[in-house]
Amino acid sequence: MQRHREPSVDVGAYFDLDRGLIDRTIFGDPGLYRQELRRVFAPSWLFLAHESQFGKPGDFFTTYMGEDPVIVTMGKDRRLRAFLNACRHRGMRVCRADAGATKAFTCSYHGWAYDTSGKLINVPNGEDYPAHFDQDQWGLIEVAQLDTYKGLVFATWNPEAPPLREALGGLAWYLDAMLDRDPEGTEVVGGVHKWVLEGNWKLAAEQFASDWYHVNISHASALMVMSPTGKGPKADIVQTPGRQYTDPLGHGHGFPTHPKSRFDDRVVHEHYDYEALRERLGDARVEGPMTTGHGTVFPNFSYLPVNGSIRVWHPKGPDKMEVWAWTIVDKSMPDEVKNAQRIYNLRTFGPTGIFEQDDGENWSECQATAHGFVSGSMTLNYQMGLGLQTEDGIHPGTTGRLYSDGAARGFYARWRDLMNTPAWHEQKNEEDTP
Amino acid sequence: MSSHPLESTAPPAVVSDDDIRLHFEVQRLYAVEAQLLDQHRYADWLELFADDLHYWAPVRTNRLRRQQALADGSPGEVAIFDETKASLAWRIRRFDSGMAWAEDPPSRTRHLITNVTVRAGDESGEYLAESAFLCYRNRLEREVDIYAGGRTDVLRRTEDGGLLIARRTILLDQNVLLAKNISTFL
Repeated sequence: MQRHREPSVDVGAYFDLDRGLIDRTIFGDPGLYRQELRRVFAPSWLFLAHESQFGKPGDFFTTYMGEDPVIVTMGKDRRLRAFLNACRHRGMRVCRADAGATKAFTCSYHGWAYDTSGKLINVPNGEDYPAHFDQDQWGLIEVAQLDTYKGLVFATWNPEAPPLREALGGLAWYLDAMLDRDPEGTEVVGGVHKWVLEGNWKLAAEQFASDWYHVNISHASALMVMSPTGKGPKADIVQTPGRQYTDPLGHGHGFPTHPKSRFDDRVVHEHYDYEALRERLGDARVEGPMTTGHGTVFPNFSYLPVNGSIRVWHPKGPDKMEVWAWTIVDKSMPDEVKNAQRIYNLRTFGPTGIFEQDDGENWSECQATAHGFVSGSMTLNYQMGLGLQTEDGIHPGTTGRLYSDGAARGFYARWRDLMNTPAWHEQKNEEDTP
Repeated sequence: MSSHPLESTAPPAVVSDDDIRLHFEVQRLYAVEAQLLDQHRYADWLELFADDLHYWAPVRTNRLRRQQALADGSPGEVAIFDETKASLAWRIRRFDSGMAWAEDPPSRTRHLITNVTVRAGDESGEYLAESAFLCYRNRLEREVDIYAGGRTDVLRRTEDGGLLIARRTILLDQNVLLAKNISTFL
């Protein structure tokens, strides 16, 4: 990594998490945004893609880690690798397709070409370079670590990051309620939904970690049309039982609990053998996190088990994000069940989905009101569920009530700590400085 | 563009009265449709569609030129819309719930439909109509979204002599959807 000379500020003053208070400055300040790219995104494991997107050597998918464009590709050795999508010569994007298959990534500026293992394999007019020019030293910049967890591909620029499994911490038990329902695992149903939002990425990441609270109000219209009678629950009196898990690493997962928890879509519901699921996942997971609920892997990967929705909130400046959302299904599902899950997800949580439309409105309006001097630094209330988090003996780790800001407080505690800790690349700079 | 062939043939040298009548009919249908959408009269809008409707807007991806065949999403992949008449009714009921906050206050929209061509369809009594659309959405104080693209419709002659839209494929000319949502129809 390169040296960073930008100043870093202590963000401690923006938080009083013991009292559930957060200064809104963290959502809009351009300097803090630069700091989080280098201290939150660069050091963390970030979601890239799903393994099923790569069937054969040469298959590639382009995405972002923070604001860094990357190519994920399967090499001839069938190993997945990820590289910065930038030519080492002038920094041109070497791959401008979303996905596909190729033998090489050739820069269309001067023709430097890289193979699927990132090695520089062709430099036009090579005879004009000095004798000490060593082609092997100029391969695409590769991530420090890449690993998969039950189909999900993550990578980090941080050579000192703990292994992925360790970084997922106690959330893995909850995440498995979506990823491990079937021994064959999951796969993506064709393609990625991508759309833009005017809003800081943390608004969405935090909500998926911690916010069942908004469902009854924000999504009242969707709940109404989905209810069997078409009338739906009264928005103001619903008190769904459930729990919310808070992970010390910043992750969160909230879920209603119900002894007969089931999948919303009829075809998906009828597909599952709930007894077999109980056998595999245990009663606590089947009656809770397996179906309706929400989760975030810190910092910016979120998921909805009942929809099979997995998504990344790509940061695009302090006040913009891009949502990239996939639909995953169990590999072993018959095609008609996979299709039912795909359709259900796009009608609820696609960019035209009856839930997603209202989420988009909330986040963009939260951001739109943060541009003023007073409004931009007002104190926000994150006190719900304060003092009510405990170990309940059923769900591993610390959980609180379903209606709680607990996982949001955990998310921001982790964010604050990373923001206040020099990342590995900064420590290296200090050592390098004469 | 494989799944949506625009078999653009040169227009016939002679324009018949039937051609003029049909073209006028389709233009008028689209104008009425646009008005209903812009007036948020979605239940009335839905009446323009056949009961076996498939209303579909695939996702458009950037592909290498040699893999262009994959650029428009295929049936069975993620899509912006992949709807039946019943699921459109479901979406419309949400707007009528009084709690669809993304449209409260409502957006102002203007659907412009142009470049219309009509030719005989695969089945008798059916026509294939191509059109271009531009939908301008203006929301709250200064939010603006522009959705532009093309539509391919299968239109079906009804017993009473009218036309129903039996199938619609919408190709939105965007990769990343450049809006926080689509809260209207195209």
